[in-house]
Amino acid sequence: MSLQSSQSEKGDVVLRVEDLGRTYGAVIALQNVTLDIQRGTIHGLLGENGAGKSTLVGLISGQRKPTSGTIYLNGKPIEHADVKSMEHAGVFLVTQEPMIVDHLDAAENLMLGIWPSSKGFVNWRTLRADAARMLEGTGIDPRMRADKLDAVARRKLNILRAMFSGGNVIILDEPTTSLDADDRTELFGFMRRLKAEGVTFIFISHYNDEILEICDAVSVLRDSRLAGGTKDMSTMTSEALSELVLGRGLDLFQRKRQDFGVESARIEIRDVAAQGVRLEALDLHPGEIVGFTGLPGSGAKELARALFGLIPSSSGSISLGGTQGTRLPGHPTEAFDRGIAFLSDDRRRDGLVGQMSIDQNLSLSSLSRLSKLNFIDFGEIRSISARYFELMGIKAPGGDVQVDTLSGGNQQKVCLGRVMATEPRLLILDEPTRGIDVGVKQDVLRIIDDLASRGVAVVIVSTDIDEICRSVDRVCVFAGGDVVEEITGADITNQRLRQRQTA
Amino acid sequence: MSNSSATLSGSPPGSGKSTTGRNVLAWVLHNVVWIWLVALVVLFGLFNQFFFTVFNLQNVMVQATVLGMLGLAVALPLMVAEIDLSIPANLGFSSAIGALAYSELGLPWFLAMLVGVGVGTLIGFFNGLCITKLRMVSLIQTLAMMIILEGALLAITQGRTITNLSDGYVWIGQATVGGWPIMPVVFIAAIVVVGIMLRRTVLGRSIYAVGGNATAANSAGIRVDRVKIAAFTIAGCLAGLGGFLLASWQMAITSSQGSSYLLYAIAAPIIGGISVFGGRGNVIGVLGGVLLLTVIQVGLAIVNVPSFYVGMIGGFMIFIAVAIDAIRVRYFG
Repeated sequence: MSLQSSQSEKGDVVLRVEDLGRTYGAVIALQNVTLDIQRGTIHGLLGENGAGKSTLVGLISGQRKPTSGTIYLNGKPIEHADVKSMEHAGVFLVTQEPMIVDHLDAAENLMLGIWPSSKGFVNWRTLRADAARMLEGTGIDPRMRADKLDAVARRKLNILRAMFSGGNVIILDEPTTSLDADDRTELFGFMRRLKAEGVTFIFISHYNDEILEICDAVSVLRDSRLAGGTKDMSTMTSEALSELVLGRGLDLFQRKRQDFGVESARIEIRDVAAQGVRLEALDLHPGEIVGFTGLPGSGAKELARALFGLIPSSSGSISLGGTQGTRLPGHPTEAFDRGIAFLSDDRRRDGLVGQMSIDQNLSLSSLSRLSKLNFIDFGEIRSISARYFELMGIKAPGGDVQVDTLSGGNQQKVCLGRVMATEPRLLILDEPTRGIDVGVKQDVLRIIDDLASRGVAVVIVSTDIDEICRSVDRVCVFAGGDVVEEITGADITNQRLRQRQTA
Repeated sequence: MSNSSATLSGSPPGSGKSTTGRNVLAWVLHNVVWIWLVALVVLFGLFNQFFFTVFNLQNVMVQATVLGMLGLAVALPLMVAEIDLSIPANLGFSSAIGALAYSELGLPWFLAMLVGVGVGTLIGFFNGLCITKLRMVSLIQTLAMMIILEGALLAITQGRTITNLSDGYVWIGQATVGGWPIMPVVFIAAIVVVGIMLRRTVLGRSIYAVGGNATAANSAGIRVDRVKIAAFTIAGCLAGLGGFLLASWQMAITSSQGSSYLLYAIAAPIIGGISVFGGRGNVIGVLGGVLLLTVIQVGLAIVNVPSFYVGMIGGFMIFIAVAIDAIRVRYFG
């Protein structure tokens, strides 16, 4: 791998920000932040949405200018930092959205905008050779079209691109979003290898376990200031991190587990066959929260989608509330009509209509229920929206605020409110707490718990083992499209589930 | 910061005065179509007093009717993030079918008119089917449909103009009440109906949702395909009605009826704030766009601009309107 090896020793300070601040009018976005980042380390950056992470990263990468303070790179103060000069100096920001052109191959994506060329003509031979060298050992085929690459390969490609452009301080903004456990492990391995070659990473994440797993040091931002941090991760715990993030002890949610006897079986799912699913029988109980876990492709996610009619099923029936079993719904409309609701794991793609208001999103799935002869009952809509706005604890000036402008956690609350407003009997949630900060996470889990106590059967599909342990009554482990094990009661432990997943 | 984390839309609070100035500017830019419209009316009026006469006002309203029906029709597919280029061709073709149903089949004029509108509706429905069920790209599918319909009209008329229309058929295009033409009433009714549909019905809200984010709309329980088909079908119906009105007004159907409207019919809703990316806009905006384009056309004719310059100057005026709108989106979202 062709990395411009730095002359400096490993372990010295590569990037230092001193007394950095930024204000927007009267709003303080960042205040008095001083921190050192050691060369060849992975430095974690943690904080709630709106705590100032994006501002800090924006200042370091040159996207915004500080109103006070100085940034030092390799001991020298940087003046007039803009994106171009910071990139020239080797500081690159790799954002959540991979900047990749789908119909170009991996090699060309790597060289996008930095094509080796003479007199305006692209030198394809050099391009291919350089790309092949860069991609060696990464498991990415240079000739593969980008849209055929998996999520982790796309993330890697962006990191490599930054390195090839001369980057040696690379800022990763939530790089694990929408990666599964295996991909994450692979990405971390990749980062460790680059770290060994002297690359420095600033790693932004919402997940304590990720920070603890991969970071050599961590800084926590809270209310626009540095709340704390450490350069010795061996003394750091997940609880201590949460406390730094929130400024108080985190009141971790824990459901009072209940045991539902066979007697009260009400929701019966039988003989489901769909892409990736081959399920014989599964019973759910009103008021019960069931966790679905399993590796990608094990059928957990697929069953959730098939029950809601998002993927077609060739056979299968469901009976809700003692009635005769009927065919699985063929479309989400039918599912909602029958009292089955679903929350997708990707709210930006298929959870929200960004340009609509909070109220409009909250009522979107209930429109036909709240209308007479196709004409909407606006009074009803207003009262329903207001109720769920309140119930979900959405933080916004009002229901007419456009959803696009909300933070991730609030957007997730709007999504959850939308599906809850349909008053379902079976609620299926796919990764309900993904990409939201740890405080809001507890809110969401509490809302779900409360819903179950009012007799709704809830399914949570999740890869977050800690969360599953704390929020469900029963765990269904999936493999090969079917439930291979059911774990109940005191047997639901972190250790047991981890064992099961690696087995 | 904890408050501002909830919403990032608010502009940073500055001093009161500059905020007010900014709000005024934002208001002006948001209503640029209407302000531009008033400005042009005044301008044309200064050039030629005739522009302010009742007769000319009536003329603008009548001219705006056909363009307005087409503009509304084009707006609906745009709102679900598709496009229908065949709408003006649909107008010409369906009115010719209606006229033939009268002259060849001997149907009463009213039934013949309904046949024409029905054909227009069916063409819209068919376009919707092609785009949803066959996943054809609407830009190309409706371009092909436009060429087919224009060709079919030429074939039907054999290049001649159809003029043997019944008195009943041409009544609405000629009738007046107290000196005022009644044709614009149809356009106003269409605006009210489509406006209510968009604002107050499940279909209307579904159209906004589908145009805003089709995947999210689908998992929210909206049948995306049906909503798109409905948008195209209503558009076809409006085109059919527009065809009837144009034929009735001109008392003739030429072998290229409607085709000259294409670019204006697309420009009007977009000028009026209908987003080409879907999910945004309303009927009042379409009305503004239609009136603006009509005033430009009529005004240029009245102030005796030599006809060789009319196209160019009109184009510049549209350009300015769109450029100001782009600036608004850039700075005020």
